[in-house]
Parts: sequence; structure tokens; C-alpha cells
Amino acid sequence: MFKKSPYTSFIPLLAIIVLVISVQSCKPRSLEGMIVMSQSQGDIDSPDYLSGNRWRHIPESRIVALNVNSPEEPLSVLTKDFQSACAPKISYDGNSMLFAAQQNKNDVWQIWEMDLHNLKTRQITSSDGNCIDPDYLPGDRMVFSKHEIINVATKEKGYTLYTSNLDGSNLARITYDPSTYFASTVLNDGRVVTIGRTLIPEVKDAKLMIMRPDGTKQQLFYQSEANHHLQGRVWEMDEGSIVFVEADANNEMDITSISYNRPLHSKVNMTSHIKGDFYAISPYQENKVLASYRSDKEGRFALYGFNTQSHELGTPIYKDGEYHVLEAVPVVKRDRPKKLPSEIDLNVKTALLVCQDINYSNKQSNDSTTLTNRANKLEILGMDETMATFETEEDGSFYIKVQADTPFRMQTLDGNDNVVKGPSSWLYLRPNERRGCIGCHENRELVPKNAQPLAVRKDPIPVPSPKEIDSLKRDLKM
Amino acid sequence: MKNAKRKTLLWMLILFGVIIYFPGRMLARHHVNDKTAVTDHPLKCTSCHVYTSKNKFVTSLINEDYYSPFNIAVSHDGSRLYVVAQDTDELLIVDTESNVVLHQLKVGVHPHSVILNKANTLAYVSNQWSDYISVIDLAVSKVTDTIKTGNGPSGLTLSADGSFLQVVNTYGSDLSVIDLSTKEELKRLGTGSDPTGTALSPDGKKLYVTSRRSKIVPYGEPLVSDLTEINGETLRVGEHHNIEEAYMMENITFTPSGDLAMMTLIRPKNLIPSVQIEGGWMMTHGIGVIEQGENGRIIQLLTDEPNSYYSDPFDIVVSPDGKRAYVSNSGADRITVISVDSIRAILKETPKEELKNIANNLGVSSRFVIKRVPTGANPKGLALSEDGKKLYIAEQLEDKIGVLDTESLQMEAPIDLGGPSRITVARQGRRLFNNAGHTFQKQYACYTCHPDHHEDGLVYNMAGKDMGRNVTNTQSLREIGDTPPFKWNGKNQTIYKQDGMRFSTVLTRTEQFSYDDLDAITAYIKRGIKYPPNLMYNPHGELTESQQRGKEIYNRTKDNFGNVIPENNRCYTCHPAPLYSNLRTADVSTLAVTDDSILFDTPHLGNIYASPPYLHDGRAATLEEIWTVYGEDNKHGYVNDLTKMQLNDLIDYLKSLGGPEQEEISSQTQETASF
Repeated sequence: MFKKSPYTSFIPLLAIIVLVISVQSCKPRSLEGMIVMSQSQGDIDSPDYLSGNRWRHIPESRIVALNVNSPEEPLSVLTKDFQSACAPKISYDGNSMLFAAQQNKNDVWQIWEMDLHNLKTRQITSSDGNCIDPDYLPGDRMVFSKHEIINVATKEKGYTLYTSNLDGSNLARITYDPSTYFASTVLNDGRVVTIGRTLIPEVKDAKLMIMRPDGTKQQLFYQSEANHHLQGRVWEMDEGSIVFVEADANNEMDITSISYNRPLHSKVNMTSHIKGDFYAISPYQENKVLASYRSDKEGRFALYGFNTQSHELGTPIYKDGEYHVLEAVPVVKRDRPKKLPSEIDLNVKTALLVCQDINYSNKQSNDSTTLTNRANKLEILGMDETMATFETEEDGSFYIKVQADTPFRMQTLDGNDNVVKGPSSWLYLRPNERRGCIGCHENRELVPKNAQPLAVRKDPIPVPSPKEIDSLKRDLKM
Repeated sequence: MKNAKRKTLLWMLILFGVIIYFPGRMLARHHVNDKTAVTDHPLKCTSCHVYTSKNKFVTSLINEDYYSPFNIAVSHDGSRLYVVAQDTDELLIVDTESNVVLHQLKVGVHPHSVILNKANTLAYVSNQWSDYISVIDLAVSKVTDTIKTGNGPSGLTLSADGSFLQVVNTYGSDLSVIDLSTKEELKRLGTGSDPTGTALSPDGKKLYVTSRRSKIVPYGEPLVSDLTEINGETLRVGEHHNIEEAYMMENITFTPSGDLAMMTLIRPKNLIPSVQIEGGWMMTHGIGVIEQGENGRIIQLLTDEPNSYYSDPFDIVVSPDGKRAYVSNSGADRITVISVDSIRAILKETPKEELKNIANNLGVSSRFVIKRVPTGANPKGLALSEDGKKLYIAEQLEDKIGVLDTESLQMEAPIDLGGPSRITVARQGRRLFNNAGHTFQKQYACYTCHPDHHEDGLVYNMAGKDMGRNVTNTQSLREIGDTPPFKWNGKNQTIYKQDGMRFSTVLTRTEQFSYDDLDAITAYIKRGIKYPPNLMYNPHGELTESQQRGKEIYNRTKDNFGNVIPENNRCYTCHPAPLYSNLRTADVSTLAVTDDSILFDTPHLGNIYASPPYLHDGRAATLEEIWTVYGEDNKHGYVNDLTKMQLNDLIDYLKSLGGPEQEEISSQTQETASF
């Protein structure tokens, strides 16, 4: 008999290793290190900031990959199978890309994900309304905007924010006020910052709003001057600044920087000295962003590097005679934001709000003449009617239980039911959310005084839902 | 045949392994799920059975002896640093040229501060767990004497002429004035609660002592802490200033011109339902500025920003030109550099009626903060070289001295004290405990509410279900490792559960600890936090006559009339030695109308004297009040037959209780934590 060599048993193992290595080497090349960008030949100079058309979803746009290491290499079109595709966002591990796309003309826009190794795509949403502006959330989820009715009475439509798993399951709506939301970005602290614009009762200027990924604790993050437009997604730089493109009243589009630490009072226009417009930016290398820029309104946007420290624009990275370069993002790994816990309990249909003092303002006046103007009542306004009016406590505090996911505004009243302040902007609370505010203050940088609100010594005042109000009205008519 | 036997044996072993493995793994899974209250904690036996082991051999393998530098002094010529190494009970003398530790001098237990005399010939070190000062002759680098102090000596100052040493006694809440000619305590002056910081004005006329705990008031009343002003010449208490809405005033300093005194502080929000962190809803941190002119105003300024917090400000020093102040933010691993001139400008333009609002404004810091400089882990004490060019930073959990070039505001290479390079699991846990990085926007660390790993004396509205319900008294974390369950309602069977998912949902409101970090913080909390020796009420391990009588009452089975006390109403039934807790929940008739209907965890009683207020909602300001005000129905121990003297004896005994080791180990030789 042939004597077995002691090494014979290793031969199959060796074969497996060789096979695995061969299979690995045959895998399609990753796009790692390349730049992925959306392009458009069409009209992008008349964006509709309300519907998002030609702004956040651009007809006949496409997504391409640019190999910056070999500029002579032609662009690789990644979305050949789509009529339109835009808003690319790279996953934290750099392995995949979310984007919004329509497969055929007149199709609804849906969210898709592409594996950046084999360039295979898969549809995530199957919605009857446009789904746009996706971004990755930690925990294999995403946030995006979906077009749908935001006022049942008037059938008015807008974009609400949703989150879902990356397979489309576990879909959850997270905004419930009559506002429209675009271009969400997940910050390192785990919150979602988004361009929000109130639509009812009148259309207001867009602001940057921030909230937890479950929609709780929504608040103002940044407000630009009147008639300015927030042009696109915001990005968080490594050193803690938030950068984005903002158009002024003359439609001059510049790169704006604000501090994460103090966003409401730290605006810097970084490109006021540069003639021309910027369309979109994204972080690239240390102190450098990718910027789509054109020197005059007749030209096409091309891809540049911009130094956020020296505020210098570099030479073009990519120019195209046919296409505008819109949103460009590098295919790189980045730190995963914090995965925030959620206090939402969908079995609970209500939420709680405490306010410390409705008369709390930036300046506490000791002038007794102003006491007559002090508010002592609060009116809760629904979409169409007053939901509740009640007296606040002696210290100006109130504590209410509201229907979850129901928008409302508040205004303060004096003893004669005259409006002292308000109405406020729209608020909504998520199921089981508990929230506090210090008062109807102008200064959003004030923290609460350390005092127990008298209102919490009692049970919360229930605010009926619109349905309950309707039912009450019907009963009274009978 | 042999081969067949071998094969059979092999198969039997495999079969045996399979039989053991699957049910064993299932049992282990069940066990770990039960302990952690989650279903996906890794099945690592080491998590509980090694890292939290009390076995001496095991602990010697898994732990290290770190220096943990806490405070520093620098010589006039800048050539020497004197570093308090709190965990090795040493004063380290460091050569700043070579960055080498020249001498390691053993001092008392748990040293706190060091101060040099004017001639730089002597150093005085306060030993917080030994109640004495070590006197070091710097010419020979030897401890030459000790001086007895009050309880828990910490902050130190020398009188203007150098003849008196003023020692802040943290546990005694007073100040010892030591006559250095006789080395005897001349007098003891009352201060605020739990003081540590002290500073003498440049003209020597005014001495301040800051307190860390606030005055005890019924829940809902405004929080006030004491800043004690002492006449630096007569050494008499001049005034007790009320510092409103602030506590944890760790340290204080004067500007060289003496126009301002500045102290670190925290402005907690314990009276507000804890429903969010956004908007400074839980904790804010800052400084207090005390004008020394005619106005004498005390203004508080937050050093935080709207979306970023700099927790646990510890030390503050001012540059020789009076232009800059440096604050160590221990929970944020930052030095905050402050423009003192900007603060002077704010003081000038702020009317008195706006002072309260400015103290709640997160935007104000942008007017006076020049820079935030990153440091090593847990920066504590600071010392400026005499020319002001270098700032030395005691990086307690880095075992290094950070060096900041104050001109460029860049950190230089740190001075490595030569401690262990390995970061043990428990050390990592201690770092996590002290760092605010695991709270949303870094608003507070575990340490913030549990200073010195104890408790902050505050009652918080934790807003359990509704916002006005379930106010809870912060519990001490000292030696709690063997006293499950945890939380006032005893709902958490382990620290894994206590600091797990729900902890992040309702308290830190950011991503929960990774399981490795959870292992680390559990290991530290279970085994790394020791009681200070109870030198105030039980200095020698022997009970006084009153305490002996109290002990008899504690252990009694019959009342004063000879009636048998029901077993459930005896002190020792629920609080048996050595832990002084039966580890069960009970109804002691203290449920408030604002509490959800629950039983209460039976707390351990070690060092109970140091944990006022008492009961789950802090309603009892003193131990006496537990029975004189709230114990009418005898459900919290049978006491209503006791005479006043007997109750006093019982209280005396309770105050004498220390940890389980107290009776075995002499307090003077108690080992410090090695984590």
C-alpha cells in the first residue's frame, strides 16, 4: 500500500485557501477612494423649493463614479438602468450607497441601495409618493423624505420624514406637523438635521431643524436670514463645524459654516470673496470639502476642492461640458454616529409637555407696569380650531397631556384673553415622549432655572384630540 | 485493536463534549441573560467571575497599582513638581528638566493637596483618609513630621506671613487653623458642607472656603451652597455667602491684583423633571466670580455651550498677569482657557437684575472662552509655573502630568510618572465613570452626581412615569458590589442591568455602553470604590460607651417594657452585619403620595453618617429625623418606646458603622483602591 504522507491531509485545506483567494481576486473592484457624484444636463436653475422638483429630485439626473487617481479614465455611469438618480449617500463602512431614483419617466421616485463592490442595486421603498433624500442611520436603518398628504382637510401635500430598515421593513413616520422636510443628514451625535419649512397657515422660510431619529425632541438648529434658501444637505466636519450651501436673497449661493456647539450664532460665509455660485459640498480630506462650483450663472457646475481653513478654492477636479456636477461624495469609510435610544412606546397614545414659565423671557423685568401684560392662560391651537384653553399656575408653569403625533401650536393670553405671545411654531410629540421647555423665550440658548414647576405637583391637563373635539361637538348638536 | 479503542475513546469524548456543551451553553446563556437582563451579552465568564472577583490572587493578577496624580505644586524656579499620587499614598518629586521622578515619599492615606512654604523648603501634604498633614523637608526629601487635623483634610493655604496653615476638613465641614510654630491646631472654624477649596487674597486679608454639597433643604426649595468668607488676619468667620442654584464648588483662586476671586461650580437641575438632556435640562457647568470691590457681586457664568458641555470643572488658576484663567474640566478631558478681561467687561455691563439670567445662558461662554485644550484622562489639579509660561495638569487617570505651553496654547509632551502602561478592565471602568463621553452632548458623567464615587446629597425628580412623581435621593456607590438589588425600588438585580439599556434610555440618552465598557464599569463599581475610613465616629475601631449602648438597642429583641419586638421590626433583621442590609425590599411606611406603589430596597448602612439627607426621597435631613419625624408608626424599626437619650445612642452607633472590613482592619493601615 501507498504510505500516506503526514502532509496529505493539508492538501484539501491548501486547495480551499487557493480557491478562496481566487474567488476574492475575481470580485469586482470596489469604488473605494473614488468620488461618486450626481449629474444633470437639465434645468437646475429654477428649483422648486416647495415640491423639491429640480432641486431634491432632478429629472434625468444620473450618478457617476470618478476615479480621481486616473483623471483620463472615463466616468463610470452607475445608474444606467434608471431614468433619473440623485442624492447619493455612502454607508459608514464605505461598502454601499443609498440614492433616490426613478426607473422610468413619470415613475414615482424610490430609495435604492447599491453595493459598491458589484454595483448591484436593490429597491428599498415601494411607495406611492416620491421618496427622496436618504441617509444612513446607525443600526442598519435609514431616514428619508416621503411625499404625502400633510393636511387631511385640505389634501395639501408635503414631504414628511420616515425611517426604515435597509430592507424597507419597519417603516416609521417621524414628523407630524404641517411642514415639508428635505435633505436630511445624520450628525455624529445621532440626531437628524433636516431642512424644514412650515406650510400652514402660510409658507415660511426654511430652517434647519434637528430631532432624534424617532422624531422626538425636534427643535430649531439654524435659521438663516429672510428670503435665504438652504440649498442642500448639511455636512459635519471632523473639527466640529457644520457646512452647507446657502443662497441669499439675490440667489448668490455660498458655502456657509456654523459651529455645532453654537449653531444659531456662529454663521460664517466662507465664500463671500469668491465670485460665482456653489451648488453642494461634502467633506473630502482634512479641512477640505468637495464643492460643485461655477464662476458664472451661464456655465455648468464643475467639481472643485475647497479649503475650509484658508477659504481657498482649488483647481477643478472634474469638469464636464455637458453635465452639471451636483452632489459629490467620496467613497470612504467614516465614523458611525451614535445610535440613540428611543423613549417611544407605540402602545401609549399620549405624550407629556411641561413648561417652566410662560412669561420667562430673555430679560426679567422688575417694572411693575409690565405685570398687566403678563400672561396667565395658555391656548392650544390645532390645525383648524382651539384644542384647549386653561389657566397656568402662579409661577407661569403648565403641564399637559397631548395626543401623540398630533400637531399643535400655543399662544399665551392675559386675564382678558388678549394674546400676549404667539402663536408658536408647530409642535408635535411622539407616543410616550416627555418634553420640557423653559417658556416662550426669544433666546434659545437659555437653560431652565433650577426650580420645580408648580404644575407638576398636579396631574397633567389633558388636551383633547381633534377627534375628541369633533365628537364633543356632535354630542352638543344632538 | 488499539486503533479501534482509540477511536471509540475519541468518539466517547466527542459525545461527552456534545452532551456537556449544548445544555451547558444553554444554562450559561440563561444565567447570563438573568444577570444582564439582555439576551445578547457575550458569554464571557471572565466578565463576572474574574473582573469582579474578590480573591486576592486573582485581583493581584488583573489589577495594577496606579499613581493617579490628583494635585500638584511647582517650585519657584520651576525645576521641581510636587505631585500628589492619591492611589499610592505618595508625594512624587519630579525634575522638570529631565521629566524624571526623583523621589517617591510615602505620606498618609489618600493624600489630597500639596502646598509649599514661601522659601520652598517645606511641603505640606493633606492626607484625607488619615486626618493629618505630612510635613516634608524638601532639602532632604523626607517626611519629617505630621500634624493632626480635623476630618478629611483637603485644601490648604498658608497665612500671608507663613505662620499659620489653614486646612480644609472635607468630612468635618470645617477649617483647621494650624499654628506652625507649635504644630498644634489653634482653632476650628465652621464652613459649608463638604468643603475642599480655599484661597487667600493677595493682601492676606480674606480667606475663602468653598463647599461642594448644598445646604439640606426640603425638596422643592431653592438649592443654595455656602461660600465661607474668613478674615485672613483675625482668622474669624466673616460671612457665609449663599451661592444660589450651584454646588460642587471644588476650588477657588484670586487674581493677582485681588480684584476678583474665581471658583469652579456646577449648576444642577435636580428640581426639574428629568425628561430630556437637550437645552441644559440636567446639568450645567461654569465658574463663579466674586467681585472684591464695593459691589461685591457674585456672578455665575456657564462655561458650557448650547450643544456641548464641559463637565465637572475641578481646578482653576489665574496667570501671573491676571489676564487668563485655566479651568480643568475633569469629565470632558479639557482645559478651558478663559479671558479674565472679558469677564471683567461682562461684570461691568451686566446690571444686577440680569445676573440670574446670565447664569443660565449657554451663549455667554463664547464671549470669554479663548480655547478648549484636550488633555489626558481626567484632568484634576493645576499648577502654573511662576512665570506663567507652563501649566501643569494632573491627569489623574492617565498617570501623567500634562504640560500646556500657555503662549501657543498647545500641549507639550506629558511627563510620564512611570505607572503601569497596561490599562486594566477596572481602570477602563474608572475612566468611563469619570468621563461624560457616554452622556448625550457630554452633559454629565457618573461622577457628576456621584462625586468621590459617593453621592451629591441631592434629590432628583427622575420623572419615572409622570413628571411630578418619584423623586429620588442619590445613593452612594461606595462598597455596593455585594449589596444587590440596586436602585431604590430594587428592580435591578445587577449593575449590568442598572447601567444597561434602560440607563441609556432614561439617563444618559445616548448610545448605551458597549458590552466591553459595561463589563469595565461594572468591575469598577463593584470592586473599585472603597469607603473612606470612618475616622470621625469610629477612629480606633472601638465603640464609645454611647455607641455600645446604641449597638444594644440596634440588636435588641424586647422593648423598654419587656415586650417582644416583632422580628420584622428589629433593626438587625433588615440591616444585619456585616453589610447592614438583608438585600431585600421592604415596606417601611415611607411611600409618598407622589410615589408609585413600590417596596424599597434595604440600603446598606456603611458610612451612613456621610449620606444625608436620608430615606428614598431625602425627606429626612438627619438620621434622627427618620424616627423623630417620619417613624411614628414603628414600621421602620421599633423605636417609639425609646427615650431621647436612647435614640441618641442608637444614632451614635449608626454613625460609627463603616464597611464590612472596618472591624478587621485598622483604619490607619487600610489599603487604598488599586484601580
